Amino acid sequence: MTLAFVGGSHRTVPMELRERLAFSAEQAAEALRRFRERFPGREGVLLSTCNRVELYAASEHDSAPPAPRQLVDFLAECRGIDAALLTPVLAGENDQAAVHHLFSVASGLDSMVLGEPQIVAQVKQAWALAQEEKTAGPLTGGMFQAALRTAKRVATETAIGRERLSIPSVAVADFASGVFERFDDKRVLLVGAGKMAHETLRYLRDAGARDIVIVNRSMARAEDLAAKLGARAGRFSDLLDELVRADLVVSTTGATEPVVTLEMFASAERRRGGRSLLVLDLAMPRDFDPRIGTRPGVWLYSIDDLGAACDANRKTRQREMPGALAIVEEETQRFMGDLHHRSSAPVIERLRAGWTETGESELDRLFRRLPGLDDTARAEIRQSFQRYAAKLLHSPLTSLRNESHSGPPHGLLDALRRLFDLKD
Amino acid sequence: MADFISRISVVCFAASYAVALACEGSRLLFRSGIRGAVMVGFAAAGVLAHTLFLGWRAANEPAVPLSSAYDWYLLAAWLLAFGSLWLTVANPRTPTGLFMLPLVLGLIGAAEMSSRAPFPQSPATQVWGAIHGSFNLAASVAVAFGAIAGMMWLIQAGRLARKQAPAQGFRMPSLEKLSRFTGRSATIAAWAAAAGFASGIVLNAVTSQQGLLESIPWNDPVILRMGALVAWLVTAACLERAASRRPDGPRTTALLSLVSLGVLTLSILWGLFGASRHGAPPHQAGPHLSPAAAAVMLAEALPTATPPGPGVIR
Repeated sequence: MTLAFVGGSHRTVPMELRERLAFSAEQAAEALRRFRERFPGREGVLLSTCNRVELYAASEHDSAPPAPRQLVDFLAECRGIDAALLTPVLAGENDQAAVHHLFSVASGLDSMVLGEPQIVAQVKQAWALAQEEKTAGPLTGGMFQAALRTAKRVATETAIGRERLSIPSVAVADFASGVFERFDDKRVLLVGAGKMAHETLRYLRDAGARDIVIVNRSMARAEDLAAKLGARAGRFSDLLDELVRADLVVSTTGATEPVVTLEMFASAERRRGGRSLLVLDLAMPRDFDPRIGTRPGVWLYSIDDLGAACDANRKTRQREMPGALAIVEEETQRFMGDLHHRSSAPVIERLRAGWTETGESELDRLFRRLPGLDDTARAEIRQSFQRYAAKLLHSPLTSLRNESHSGPPHGLLDALRRLFDLKD
Repeated sequence: MADFISRISVVCFAASYAVALACEGSRLLFRSGIRGAVMVGFAAAGVLAHTLFLGWRAANEPAVPLSSAYDWYLLAAWLLAFGSLWLTVANPRTPTGLFMLPLVLGLIGAAEMSSRAPFPQSPATQVWGAIHGSFNLAASVAVAFGAIAGMMWLIQAGRLARKQAPAQGFRMPSLEKLSRFTGRSATIAAWAAAAGFASGIVLNAVTSQQGLLESIPWNDPVILRMGALVAWLVTAACLERAASRRPDGPRTTALLSLVSLGVLTLSILWGLFGASRHGAPPHQAGPHLSPAAAAVMLAEALPTATPPGPGVIR
């Protein structure tokens, strides 16, 4: 009963090769079908994301899973890549190391963005696909379920995935939500049409923002973007008026000089009725004169400010790493203990069956010699026999379980086989 | 059961609140999966014991229920503790208890230092006395809630001004919400304090009509103190309203709320340690009593019934 995996991630595989190696959902399904034909009786799960491709294989019975070399060749063949290119960049592990790796991956500890939660869904999808293609089995099933349990523990018992790391998410969740309680009654003004603005608007929409106005030097571009984002387009010449009405400004123009100077803002400020204004200046160079941020009631954040907050959050996640690794280690040990204990199941079954058979033959002999026993008495005697056998088995089974924590209990199993003459 | 309830003491719920406060404080030091449950458990146990304690006193005191300064402080502490528990359950990531429980423990401490003797009661003044005490209680609790929201506003604004992400387990409500809450608290506190003051005047007028009080003793230290408190709260509410249309209005409101709490605290300390005869029965009057205080004392010699606070006006 063994487990193996080969795979590579952003850490080892160059992007160009990763792009060639990546599987779409259809390609992954096709690869699993080929796996089933190529390695009959073996279990296989293929995990393919934008940052990693990993193939997990297992064998429930005594036959070994495919060797790492075979798995590399298989991946190369599926994607039409020369195996010689993959060999140096793909890693392979067996048994405990393979389990530890999967648990780390599922918990986001091996991700490019430490602790990112999307990987959990991707692990679930990989497992579901293997089930659909009938390459999943009890070993990989137990392993992937334990991986998801580990990921859940890491997410709830540590703060590794709690702090946000992208600039738009930090801008909205940590700063905009610190100023405003709700966004459905706020006017959002988008100045310019930079890429970061789309992502920020997505977070703002998720937070409830509905009233969004886009102003851009090109009216056509503003209208086009407004149609895509379900917003309204405004004229760039009306920027000052829009600034008076806005509660939150996201600015991402490509201007080389500040679009809103302190003097411009001062004239708008007088007409704002004392309302707070949050400005997310995501442009480089900045669109808003930094002195505007010193005005009362104005909360101005540049891309550097938000980047610094992201870095601080990243460090917070790093600090959670030891706790997360401890959970992964604990779950790995638990899983391997259970796995080793499962390997003793056939011997236990044979032992139990032998004792049951002996017990039944003894009972038959006893009942023939005591024909006057009624059904109640017979049932009582049978139950006593069964309880006696169970109590005798308890100690060896406990010893086997304890031994399983430190590896497969081969010594004890051999002893049991020889002592009780258990044939395979 | 009655025997069990009768054995509940102030120490029982004060200790529960203290443990809940320690749990809240530990948010700043380390993470814990069970801290929230432990904290809510202790706070809930404290509120339950506190409720049973007040219920027992209300049912077993010979005077009108909860009609001593001691009971008034404990009732105010109960309202704050209940509010703290409610807000903690509703917003588990906000360290509400860290701000509210010290006030709760402070009020319990003030209760321990105040008189347990019920204020004199009479059917004629009972209703006005109850109104007077209730408004004073509402004003004090509103000031406390407003100040806590104001303090949170300043901390949150400081964090946003420093451009820092929120600390783990120390997430404050938004400035918008805190500002709204502080403003409303200031308004409620001003109206309640003014109503409490007015009802105190009516109470004295009723007493005066009975011929036992020549006139309202305007120069009694407690009346002056309460008058000053009411004047401040009304001024603060007006300033808050005036500032609401200015960009720095929320900060002004937050600072005003803290000043209001300071004024209220001074007023309570004055009530605890000052030499006033306000609300005391006539037989405790000393030879140094001023004519005005004697008049107040005379009014209080009349059977009245109120749950008045430390700043009771009669």
